[in-house]
Amino acid sequence: MSDLQTPHAGDDRSRDDDVVSLLMRQHGDIRNLFDEVEATSGEGRRDAFRRLVRLLAVHETAEEEVVHPFVRRSVAGGQEIVEDRLKEEREAKEMLAVLDDMDPDGPDFLPKLIELRRDVQMHARAEERYEFIHIRRSTDVTDLAAMAKAIKAAEAMAPTRPHPGVESGAKNMALGPVAALMDRTKDTVRKAMGGS
Amino acid sequence: MTFNPLEQRGIPLDRQLRNWRELNVEPIDPDRCDPYTRCRVITMNGIEVEAILFSHQLARNTVDPEIKRQLAQTRYIEAQQQKAVNWLLPGLSSVLETTIAYEQVAVDLTAWVARMEPDPYLKQAYQFGVLEDFDHLYRYANLYEMIEHRKAESIVDNLTEVMPGRPTRYHHRDPVDNVRDPYAKDQADPLSKLHALTIMSTEQQTMNFYMNTGPTYMEPIARQLYQEIGLIEEEHVTHYESLVDPGETWWEQLVNHEYNECYLYYSFMEQESDPKVKAIWELHLNMELEHLHVACDLMRRLDGREPAEVLAPALPNVLTFEPNKAYLRELLDTQMDLTTLGAGYVREAHERFEKMQETIHGGENPPSDRVMHMHDDMFGREYRVQTEGEHPDPAQREK
Repeated sequence: MSDLQTPHAGDDRSRDDDVVSLLMRQHGDIRNLFDEVEATSGEGRRDAFRRLVRLLAVHETAEEEVVHPFVRRSVAGGQEIVEDRLKEEREAKEMLAVLDDMDPDGPDFLPKLIELRRDVQMHARAEERYEFIHIRRSTDVTDLAAMAKAIKAAEAMAPTRPHPGVESGAKNMALGPVAALMDRTKDTVRKAMGGS
Repeated sequence: MTFNPLEQRGIPLDRQLRNWRELNVEPIDPDRCDPYTRCRVITMNGIEVEAILFSHQLARNTVDPEIKRQLAQTRYIEAQQQKAVNWLLPGLSSVLETTIAYEQVAVDLTAWVARMEPDPYLKQAYQFGVLEDFDHLYRYANLYEMIEHRKAESIVDNLTEVMPGRPTRYHHRDPVDNVRDPYAKDQADPLSKLHALTIMSTEQQTMNFYMNTGPTYMEPIARQLYQEIGLIEEEHVTHYESLVDPGETWWEQLVNHEYNECYLYYSFMEQESDPKVKAIWELHLNMELEHLHVACDLMRRLDGREPAEVLAPALPNVLTFEPNKAYLRELLDTQMDLTTLGAGYVREAHERFEKMQETIHGGENPPSDRVMHMHDDMFGREYRVQTEGEHPDPAQREK
């Protein structure tokens, strides 16, 4: 692998005025973090996995607050589409919780992680094909930009970038457990979306 | 070991039809598969698509209803083969990911064929073309990082380098300069005929893929890049199809098609790392052997000639997917600035080339340049995979 780093969505120099392209780049960021967890071991893997958990939590929560309500409201058959996605998200969260309790260097960790990776990727492609396409079709540029802003606000409060040279454990602890992070993400997104 | 398809029998034609369960193949893993397994899948899909389209053209030029029915029988099986092969590609991959895999095929397949081609004029045609596919891979890889935040090395896995080839903007030539001279069917090495058919078929599939999937993108730059490279694929199909001797009869061409399918399934069966995919190559080889016999019978009956007169006595060395990095670097060092004039190659930008360039670019940067500018705006750098060091051409090194 080359040593080029692809920055996370929000950290590249894109204008981020389109929620769909922002979320699609975030899907890539999640895949990149899965790669990193697989390629590392010991403390490095622990750190990469913490960042993966955080990014997944923030990304999925933000989608639940921003994307799914829109699709449910504005797309014919949207209710069913969203139900399918929520089911996948629930399953992913359960698997994430299982992984969170495991020793990242234990023999069962990687097979479970690869299973999760596959599920997350299927979920992401389903969103891209069945939700994002409707958002772009039925949303004006102002809404696309407003939604992008809300997602970015959520991302900003839970940095998921590596912290080279810094003991990341301390920073992770400061962010608290995943459930609390999800709650805070919800609040931030709601505020950014105008309190709806 | 020598393998002579003319002497082998396969599965009888009336036992080749598969049911839905048998066609329901399990796709390869988009993230964990051997990249060259995916390349073999894409190649064989292109070969089967050509088999189907060629047979349709032949049927439309055939008067005898009995022969039409015979062609329809084999063609239906070929259509099933195409489904079984192409459905090995996973739904999880995006169009852009499949595109990058298509370009990896174009690079490593064409480079290998160029290395093995015995005829110098044909060899030059492949050397010329591969530097263009090589540049397409680089442009699409940069688009991929922009849209999906993923690096093309996660697809090509460092088996193929990603860096500039002949710049895409210079691929747009006056169409008359894309027509090559054909090989002579009675003098050409049988291997040359197989090479020409293989590269023509895969480039044709690439052309079809881009012309159909390009507009499914919403991002303006993606739509425009597919349009630009899609037009170059039209040039490539013109370039490669004109290498084939048009003096071959329809039946001789049919025999060559079937023989080539045997050659490629046999080659890929020998190399395949994925056992499930290997089983498909083996099954299809056993089907193709019978398709070849059917075609040979037609040639004997309708041309009054022995197929053995036009075919190799045994299969040539297996066609292989492997890295071609050193070979490509040598071409990058020596053939970057070539263009075509008539059926030959020149280094100067001649009048007809300049005229075409002026008209098609219309005084603006083409999408293939703009994608690089947009990538730079987003990341402040390019995306490349240069596992063997800097670009051989100093002018193409990253600033």
